[in-house]
Amino acid sequence: MIGHWVVLVQIAFRNLFSSFINLVIGVIIAVGTMLVVVGGAMLDSLDTAMSRSITGSLAGHIQVYSAASKDELAIYGGMTDDPSLAAVDDFPKVKRLLLGVPHVKTVVPMGINGALLMSGNTVDLTLAKLRGAVKARDAATASGAPAADLAEQVDSQKAHIRQIVKVLVEDAAKASVLADSHAVDDEAKQALATVSTEPFWEGFDRDPYSALELLENKIAPLVSDADMLYVRYVGTDLDAYQRAFDRMQVVDGQPVPAGRRGFLFPKFQYEEQLKLKTARRLDRIKEGLTESGKTIAGDSELQRFVRENQAQTREIVLQLDGLKTRTALARLNAALHSNETDLPTLLTRLFTTDDQNFMDRYRIFYEQLAPLLELYRVRIGDMLTVKAFTRSGYVQSVNVKVYGTFEFKGLEKSPLSGVTGLMDLMSFRDLYGYLSADKRDELRVLQAASGAKAVARENAEAELFGGGGPVVAEAKEGSIDEKAQLSGLKKAKKSEDLVARIYTPGEIEDGVVLNAAVVLDDPKALPQAIKAISELSAKEHLGLKVESWQQASGLLGEFVLAAKGILYFAVTIIFVVAVVVINNAMMMATLQRTQTLGTMRAIGAQRSFIVSMVLLETLVLGLLFGSAGAAAGAAVMAKLHATGIGAWSDAVYFFFSGPRIYPSLGAGNVVAAFLIILVVSVVSTLYPALIAMRVSPVTAMQAEE
Amino acid sequence: MGSIVSIDNVVKEYHLGKVIVPALRGVSLEVHEGEFISIAGPSGSGKTTLLNLIGCVDTATSGKVEVAGRDTATLTERQRTSLRLDTIGFIFQSFNLVAVLSVFQNVEFPLLLQGRLKAADRKAQVMSLLDQVGLSSHAKHRPSELSGGQRQRVAVARALVTEPKLVLADEPTANLDSATGQNIIDLMKALNQRRGTTFIFSTHDAKVMSHANAIWQLADGKILGKSGPVAGAPIPAEARP
Repeated sequence: MIGHWVVLVQIAFRNLFSSFINLVIGVIIAVGTMLVVVGGAMLDSLDTAMSRSITGSLAGHIQVYSAASKDELAIYGGMTDDPSLAAVDDFPKVKRLLLGVPHVKTVVPMGINGALLMSGNTVDLTLAKLRGAVKARDAATASGAPAADLAEQVDSQKAHIRQIVKVLVEDAAKASVLADSHAVDDEAKQALATVSTEPFWEGFDRDPYSALELLENKIAPLVSDADMLYVRYVGTDLDAYQRAFDRMQVVDGQPVPAGRRGFLFPKFQYEEQLKLKTARRLDRIKEGLTESGKTIAGDSELQRFVRENQAQTREIVLQLDGLKTRTALARLNAALHSNETDLPTLLTRLFTTDDQNFMDRYRIFYEQLAPLLELYRVRIGDMLTVKAFTRSGYVQSVNVKVYGTFEFKGLEKSPLSGVTGLMDLMSFRDLYGYLSADKRDELRVLQAASGAKAVARENAEAELFGGGGPVVAEAKEGSIDEKAQLSGLKKAKKSEDLVARIYTPGEIEDGVVLNAAVVLDDPKALPQAIKAISELSAKEHLGLKVESWQQASGLLGEFVLAAKGILYFAVTIIFVVAVVVINNAMMMATLQRTQTLGTMRAIGAQRSFIVSMVLLETLVLGLLFGSAGAAAGAAVMAKLHATGIGAWSDAVYFFFSGPRIYPSLGAGNVVAAFLIILVVSVVSTLYPALIAMRVSPVTAMQAEE
Repeated sequence: MGSIVSIDNVVKEYHLGKVIVPALRGVSLEVHEGEFISIAGPSGSGKTTLLNLIGCVDTATSGKVEVAGRDTATLTERQRTSLRLDTIGFIFQSFNLVAVLSVFQNVEFPLLLQGRLKAADRKAQVMSLLDQVGLSSHAKHRPSELSGGQRQRVAVARALVTEPKLVLADEPTANLDSATGQNIIDLMKALNQRRGTTFIFSTHDAKVMSHANAIWQLADGKILGKSGPVAGAPIPAEARP
């Protein structure tokens, strides 16, 4: 029997090289196989990398949320905004039950929301400092304490304001060249004129508060560098989060202490949006030079950064008061060996960089100038006022302390994972518009103190406008006594105490949770775990929707799926073409060989022999060229595995789960490729084989014409 | 000597569209083991049809064909194929060697289909036959590298390699010049005498048929008569082309 197969394979091999069309078929098969191997392996590697990115940063392996939610969960945001989710009922119970499911390691409560951060502009901040300095000086003077230092501080802040005014006057002059005279606000022009006169500043100390009021009301609005910053954040049990997602690391500052309210900025956003723009541009030029091997001379983006730094010195000038301006001038003149008296000109000279002097200038900036500046608009340790629209549509604001910044290892540069901050669950709940136990108590006290009562809708008109109902309170003219107004509210608790308060794990968990990340001890157990949790939810009436990280991450998670779809579409087309071409070629070959086939049948070959001969021929062709294609694919993958593929843009970081991806070839892709070849060979040859099988042995007896 | 082929009143008709073309119209004959028989007749007389029926590659429309004692009409396609493989050797007018196989492999092919012998035994058998047809030195050649006569010798070797009881040859010399044709007939005759294999061959060449020890004359699908055993015997007038 072995000899029988040997001759079949030999016939197959020899027929293989007998016609040119086989070479064409072979090349199609080889290319198709290579595509399957390389494409499949690449996508699998991407899938793995993305799964690391997604499961390791926000999603965990599984997400659960209320089945009553209006929208689907989308961890990284939906098409327009964050989806509207219903709260999970009784999270502590859910957590307790989920932890009993095999392979479940942790369950982290979450809620995703977005908020606007408002920061005052440079003038506001400087004026606030000036007002503080004036107050301190006056207080010291009143109490007879030495006030010389404080007076100097006032003068320094005054000089700072005067410098800002100078910049604004220059701006206005430039603007008047460009703009129509009607477009200039006369009131603003007049105010600027007033505050840039000597008499105004000479008279400042006689009535500092009136002068400050003019500056605050008329001048500050002229500076438009105040920013609203959109922050997306996950409200979570920060301790549990830090334990569950071990790729997360705190970069600046410290983790939020256990049980405290607090906020952690994503490092990426902190650098990109909160850092002084000039400094950020310097960082990016340095990155381009040292990490990406670019040159200023050869890269238009770096050239743009240089130009912008040269032109946009205003941001720095506005930050420096008189004292600091002098210091800055002295330091920079020394470093640049110049003798310049105008700071903007000197700054422009500092930022006039090329490939030779850049590293030197970079060092000068950070060593000499940066210590005089606020490099970040929000500093670690600052109290942040976060304003957000609650579910019911009104604006709620909460003060949280910024404890630091964090990043995910390997995803440092990914905008996708770098724009979601971390917030404690308590603050999240306040902002989301759900009443925490604290707030409920506070409202009860308020209600009792104010005598407010619930009024049914049908009685509202009578209660409000008519009838002889008792009047709750008479409005009286009089000054507002803050202390008295807030006394019933436990004022202390409302502000500073909330920040300092330490919540117990029970308090953190017992409240509104929108979704929860389930982290498994074995990622391979994902399908079983999803099944087990779904069953548990149904049995215990938890009302949970259970989704894998792919589903939970919305469009992002489907990316690999979509890419796979495209790949397999292309592969299908290639192999359909292969099927048609092979079918055609084999038909031709069969028809040309009827006499040989007939002879074989006459001599005593059974039909099954003929069928296996024809099938084997295509199979040998497929396997031979398929192996060549697979080998080429494996070689490509080996090369890619060794060198890796660098992320060509920040966005790609997330998909690569790091700066480079080292894709590897799994046996599955090769097996898949060979299975496809097998199917293609058999399908394409079935009909020719059938024809060959039916060749009558009588054909052998017919003389060749 | 027993009868190896027994044909009784066989009719064979072909259907060409709606037209029925009779190829054999009631043929009866008997061939005994060890005979060297020629079927003679002009083109279209039904020689090839008759050989097809004897060779079990085709079935009769009516009548009875028995080969090696088996009624071919009662056999399945598979059984007929096995019967061909084990009992009958074929030599074709245009040699019909498998172009992609070597001389050795062509001769070995039927043995491989049988799958009974081990490689060493197969080799001995094939080489012995190639030796007998004078081509042992050409074992590794491809058919395309051989002359017509050499190819037909290979075909003879292939037909005999399974040691069949019966060898059918359809116009084995038609594509050869007369000297080479003579050689092939001599070879067949020698093998017939040496091994006792029954040969039935069709021809319309008088010189070739003169080697037969019996000649069945065929015309218009009918047997006109049997002559011989003679060497150089006069051919009946009605059988002349």
